[in-house]
Amino acid sequence: MQLDKLCTNSTWSTVFDAVGFGLVLVDADAHVVLWNGWMTRHSGTSAQSALGRPLTDVFGAAGQSASFTAALRNALRYKLPVVLSNVLHRCPLPLYAQLPASESAERMPHAVTLTPLTVAPWGACCLIQVNDSSLSISREKILQKNSDRLSREVMTDGLTRAFSRGFFDQFYQQEFARARRQSSKLSLIMVDVDFFKNYNDEYGHPAGDKVLIAVVQAMQEVLLRATDKLFRYGGEEFAVILPDCDQHKAMAIAEQLRLAVMALKLAHGKSETSSHLTISLGVSTLTSGQSCCAKTQLEASDNALYLAKKQGRNRVQYCNPESALETASA
Amino acid sequence: MALTADQLDALSEIFNVGAGRAASSLSDIVGDEVLLSVPQVEFYRANEVNAKVLSLSSARLGSVKQQFNGPFNITASLVFTEERALEIVQEMLGSQVEMADLVEYEQEAMCEVGNIILNASLSAMADMLGITFDSTLPEYSSDAPDVVIGRIVADTNNPMLLILHMNMIIEKRRSQGTLIFWLSSSSLNLLILHIDQFLARI
Repeated sequence: MQLDKLCTNSTWSTVFDAVGFGLVLVDADAHVVLWNGWMTRHSGTSAQSALGRPLTDVFGAAGQSASFTAALRNALRYKLPVVLSNVLHRCPLPLYAQLPASESAERMPHAVTLTPLTVAPWGACCLIQVNDSSLSISREKILQKNSDRLSREVMTDGLTRAFSRGFFDQFYQQEFARARRQSSKLSLIMVDVDFFKNYNDEYGHPAGDKVLIAVVQAMQEVLLRATDKLFRYGGEEFAVILPDCDQHKAMAIAEQLRLAVMALKLAHGKSETSSHLTISLGVSTLTSGQSCCAKTQLEASDNALYLAKKQGRNRVQYCNPESALETASA
Repeated sequence: MALTADQLDALSEIFNVGAGRAASSLSDIVGDEVLLSVPQVEFYRANEVNAKVLSLSSARLGSVKQQFNGPFNITASLVFTEERALEIVQEMLGSQVEMADLVEYEQEAMCEVGNIILNASLSAMADMLGITFDSTLPEYSSDAPDVVIGRIVADTNNPMLLILHMNMIIEKRRSQGTLIFWLSSSSLNLLILHIDQFLARI
């Protein structure tokens, strides 16, 4: 087919104008010889005013990106096809979803394919195809947002907003491995709300939920380092992971946690320890040179918590991970 | 097919010029210095080659393919291994996607990077040998290494393989891609003929 008839041949121009993407043909000097209806709709320049002019004039000085200019020059020079992905270029051409575009309007994201062709009577030409990418980008954004939200939800306990048990299992393994690798210290505190079952029986479950939320908030205020994390381990049990924290500091933090919950002054008529709600805490610290595993340290903190409860609750106890090993085998 | 040392040197020079051009295009896109080099050029017969010989051990390979036609025809693929090349692509894109999904997810960008490197290599060859090529649009595919290599060596029209291992450095991170050109014996003979003419001119 004679392409010189294209622009005047109403059959073909009807077809090109109906195509759902941008179609531009330029000659060897990058002058426009074909400009379809999609281009008119999204650039605001009609075919009549685009035809015969250099493409850079049509798009204006600041219009087309340097990467597009270079890609077109290469395609015309080497006669090799070039693709400009949306991911790496965003919006190389001044195209808009809606026209007239306001000054603040953002360009329509698009991808460009440049295909060198030899077309009579112009000889070497380049066909420029422009595809709107906004649909896939908005879909990608929605999926990304949902995936962010889901991972946040999986990491967080729905009631107290402390980190979840699922995240504890993963984070603790990871921190334990890191501490062993770097020969650094790692402290783990297990926390239990004293006589919580009695509290629920006396004040009802909704009130029980409220005190768990209050206890978490009070404990969060004590944990100042971003690396210190509080987890809801299950029911009324919580865990605190303190990376790079020695026994001395961990005991001090545990004591602060205990005092913070006391300071809430939540009345607890069925506590056998105090007239207010209290917590018991068990601490263990992994130090360099210790050869225990993650499970052993967890058992040590549990042992310490058991000891704290046995000694009358509302207190902090410590257990060495290596002695937990002996207790376990005893 | 044994090439003389001079012929191999000429090919190596051609591909290093191509790598230089590709690096400059990639630098413009990334906005940071990209270095590309081609330390060596190797020839194989299709039946000698598998993923292990090409040291392309990876769960999955991504490949960008273009068919170049001119005085002789070359089918060219840039093959990325997941571990080595994708880190770079991820760095370029700032992508949030997990490494394992990247070959599938970032097809568009991978296709463009491949297109830049393949066009640069073949346009350097065209310029230096004084010839012209045309080409198909780049096609992207990703698969297990044996499948990717199997597809390449199964092309009985093109039994000769020219393999380049390309080193890529972006922001001090080192990575590697492999360029595979495969061509018929007659195309290879023509390539060698053009190289000899090039050598005679310099």
